Amino acid sequence: MVKFVEVSKNFGRKPVLSGVSLEVREGEMIALIGPSGSGKTTLIRMVNGFVVPDSGEVWVMNRKVEYRSRSALKSIRKETAMVYQLFNLVDRLTTLQNVLSGALGRYNSLMETLLSCMGFFKREDVELAMDILRYVGLEEKAYERVDRLSGGQKQRVAIARALMQQPRVLLADEPIASLDPKTGKKIINLLRRINQEKGIAVICVLHHIDMVREYFERVVAIREGRVLFDGRATDLDEGLLEEIYQLEEEACTA
Amino acid sequence: MYSLNSGVKTSQRIRSFLIVLGLVLVLALSLRASRFELHKLFTGASQSAELVREMFPPDFSNFLEVLRLTAETLSVGFWGTFLGTLLSIPLALLSASNTSNRFLYPIARYILSLLRAVPELLYALLFVIAIGLGPFAGVLALIFHTVGLLGKFLSESIESIDPRPVEAIRSAGASPLGAIRYAVLPQVLPLFVGYFLYMLDHNVRVAIALGIVGVGGLGVELFTAMRTFDYQRALTIIVVISILITLLDRISAKIRGDIIEGRAVNKPYLLVLSLLGLSSVYFIPLEISNLGHRMVTLWEFIVSMYPPDFSTLGIYVKLMVETVAIAISGTFLAVLMALPLGFGSARNIVHLSLLVNLFREVNNFLRAIPEIVLALIFVAAVGLGPFAGVLAIALHTAGFLGKFYAEVVENIDRKPLEAIEATGTSFLQKLRFAVLPQVIPLFNSYSLYILDRNVRAATTMGLVGAGGIGFELIMSIKLFDYQRTATILMVVISTIMLIDWLSFYLRRRTL
Repeated sequence: MVKFVEVSKNFGRKPVLSGVSLEVREGEMIALIGPSGSGKTTLIRMVNGFVVPDSGEVWVMNRKVEYRSRSALKSIRKETAMVYQLFNLVDRLTTLQNVLSGALGRYNSLMETLLSCMGFFKREDVELAMDILRYVGLEEKAYERVDRLSGGQKQRVAIARALMQQPRVLLADEPIASLDPKTGKKIINLLRRINQEKGIAVICVLHHIDMVREYFERVVAIREGRVLFDGRATDLDEGLLEEIYQLEEEACTA
Repeated sequence: MYSLNSGVKTSQRIRSFLIVLGLVLVLALSLRASRFELHKLFTGASQSAELVREMFPPDFSNFLEVLRLTAETLSVGFWGTFLGTLLSIPLALLSASNTSNRFLYPIARYILSLLRAVPELLYALLFVIAIGLGPFAGVLALIFHTVGLLGKFLSESIESIDPRPVEAIRSAGASPLGAIRYAVLPQVLPLFVGYFLYMLDHNVRVAIALGIVGVGGLGVELFTAMRTFDYQRALTIIVVISILITLLDRISAKIRGDIIEGRAVNKPYLLVLSLLGLSSVYFIPLEISNLGHRMVTLWEFIVSMYPPDFSTLGIYVKLMVETVAIAISGTFLAVLMALPLGFGSARNIVHLSLLVNLFREVNNFLRAIPEIVLALIFVAAVGLGPFAGVLAIALHTAGFLGKFYAEVVENIDRKPLEAIEATGTSFLQKLRFAVLPQVIPLFNSYSLYILDRNVRAATTMGLVGAGGIGFELIMSIKLFDYQRTATILMVVISTIMLIDWLSFYLRRRTL
């Protein structure tokens, strides 16, 4: 489904990822953990081309990601949806409009583009958007501006927008980092449901170890740009966590 | 199968349809009333080109005289700004709800909006009759308008300060004045300085325009050159004006930026600015010697306006409608021009810095020439009448709006932009669904502000024959028919105050 082959990336002179290889299989749900700045976000942003690797390859659904071709990137982006820490919604639009913007990638011809820009969407897309809103439990908020919603509701709108793409992979970049624990749990639960019911692969960057243990089967830990652990969430013991999250000073002397 | 059911309720859609319909209607009526004719734009263009050709080569024969007049204009601008700022501070404190009291607050507010309602050119016109030709009338005109405008800006910034330090100092037993000195002033000082520089920049532009009614400086020289068809000399003055304004604009923008972001102020810029200020001290235009006598003539002028003559009120109201129509048409054209200019000079939209700089220079150039000067040129090019006024206002304010729009576009939130891009959209869709929803409310707000300002500007267009009520005003003065002057002033001031209030209300609603 998604395969990283020996990818490396430097920002300036600072190496962020050094030779990471990882394969995510179809319909899998994995958690990416590791200290801040370890390269987790950089890794998932390589999937949809917002970060270009210095070396190595990324494969999405058996196609190699061609970073130089705009049209190739666009077709990859349509298959891979992304959810963010700060939701990244368009504040002044309604919930439904935000969700519908997830369908824009399917409107390719000039006619479709112009119609969508004037506010015309395909009827089946509007119905799909309402179905998805029902699925995430925000049906009655469809006509409300998103800046009036709570944080948890906003993240559910963002997930609905992602689902609107009908993606094969859902990338989630710290989706609950700005939510309270209870709301965060609901969001992770929703991602889990999406993974099981719709068979969409989920790659989730996360800091909450308790939730990782509860909801995920596979965990990948990254530290200083390298994969430190790749295995079952139940195998995450205290010693391992200590190693993953050991203090910065110790890392420097090591 | 397509449907418009894209997230807006039907009742809301009907309402916004009605609003759009109303706007289109107002616009159509305005274009008609300001005698907007598209074909004149093309014949006018060829005539303007002809006019520009006649301006070459510029005549530098009396360049020294032009420099002396520049200094005179600068000193009117500096003195008006300096004294106006001093006077605006107490009024600003009185009209800020958190530093004033219940009784003085509404009075001070009303005085400020009244002072603001009269355009500088009208003040100058009145002071010229009342106390005679010369720079002193110009300085007075600038002072009055500056107090009204700056007083409002300052009181708004005083109202938005953090109240906690004030409370802390008050609870420690400080007097109200002590609290103002040690808790209010330190908070608003950077903004004060920023507004002062903005006013200075604005007032030097205005000081040029004031020459047209006899205040002296560069304006008179330009006016005479245009009236005597001496276009080569006119070009010299226009070049000097645009260099001067561009220079001041740069300097004040740089210093303002430094102060607001808390950097050390750029020394060379500060030095140039202080030198300009000092030079105006040398050219002290205040002829205080016969101040008493002048006050008497001013009083006599005011008395001679009473009672106002309402017999021709109908005509004045009709002309005022034409004036507002000029402002609306001009603003509409300005918005049309500013959209490409604004997006073109936003670095996050256009990635070619050469192109961005080109667009920015166009913005600067358009802003550099005061609209009354442009009106003079357009009257020569497309003939007398409101259409010349529309074009002058449109060109000048397109530069302002282009700059404002660019700032709005550059300050949008990038996060939704990336999210929309991540769904695999095209450039056009990204613009429509992630950029437009963010910028439109602010575009509206700025355009309304410019419309408000343009109504004021449009009342002065008639002074050079570019339509609107200004022509009647200047005629009534030339015929010593001061009772009619009073009626016209009442119509002008009440309309401007109404529009000011309306635009304030609309701006609140659109955000």
